[in-house]
Amino acid sequence: MADDALNGLERELHGPVPPGLLRLHDSELRDLATAIAAERHRQAAALAAAGDQALGQLPRMIRIPLKKLLG
Amino acid sequence: MSEALAIRSEILKLARLLERDPESLSYLEQVPAEDIRAVRELATERMFDAGGGVLSRIALASKVIPTGLMATLTQRTFGPMLTARIAGEVDPSRAVEVAAKLPPPFLADVAIELDPRRAETMIGQLPATLLSVVTAELIRREEYVTLGRFVGHITPDALRAALDSMTDSDLLAVAFVLEEKSALDGLVDELGLERLEGVLAAAAAEGQWPEALDLFANLSGERAELIARATAGAEAQVLESLFAAADEHELWGVLLPMLELLGPEDRARMEARLPEAVQPSASEVRSKP
Repeated sequence: MADDALNGLERELHGPVPPGLLRLHDSELRDLATAIAAERHRQAAALAAAGDQALGQLPRMIRIPLKKLLG
Repeated sequence: MSEALAIRSEILKLARLLERDPESLSYLEQVPAEDIRAVRELATERMFDAGGGVLSRIALASKVIPTGLMATLTQRTFGPMLTARIAGEVDPSRAVEVAAKLPPPFLADVAIELDPRRAETMIGQLPATLLSVVTAELIRREEYVTLGRFVGHITPDALRAALDSMTDSDLLAVAFVLEEKSALDGLVDELGLERLEGVLAAAAAEGQWPEALDLFANLSGERAELIARATAGAEAQVLESLFAAADEHELWGVLLPMLELLGPEDRARMEARLPEAVQPSASEVRSKP
């Protein structure tokens, strides 16, 4: 169980867990991993939504400036 | 610096990144500050690595979009997070032109999502007047951690303008969570003795002595002496409040070295007011070679 919690945090950080965190209980390691994953997913979702919307609109909105640029 | 204060500062910063209440991360109080910081940096890298391809394409497309249209797109379509991520990929002078056309509340939203290390050149080119308005907005929202990330990346003019937007209490809150504590010297250079006295009064009035002692502990040479002199010159009730806070937060180890920096009169005045229990420790400081 201890290894699971530690591995979970390592996966979330994409690297070894700093040594001071080995003092934490499993539940605390899991809480930290969950908090990082939740914020990462929130940011990724917000970025994906904004990116899709932006790229969908760009071709129409840059048509005029592109024409000017290309003569 | 007091490790306990450094840990407290790092928990505040990690909590801000994870959008958590700092109290909910109190189990990290047993973890060294440098390890909490390492977790935050790894988590930040992970979060910022996402979306690279889309960001580059949008940054590329932005080259041919007129500034006004880009500002409209930025605010209405990209939103704060996407804007923060492409800020470091767009030509800095172009990014500054667009920023100048955006409303301060939106720029404050972007600042919260921005990693200043990835957009350092652009931040360095932002006009002090614009930064001052955005600082005021971030202060209004009590976004101290966000402001603390920026201090090491802005010009002295911009820092001066930002400091003018803060109360003494705000200033202590920002200094406490400063990303680069080495920037504190430059910050104190801008303050002067009169404002420092105000900062100490704010520490007493607002219960921010831990933050004020952290500021002292992270300053070098003459600036630390300036704080020590301002403290020694404070009113009796301010000193009493300081000593009570040192007791409550176990910060005598940070406070007593301040005595070493004082002249004989100021030192005697401080020592006379010290609680009896710490008098022996104060004598040890005095007898140091």
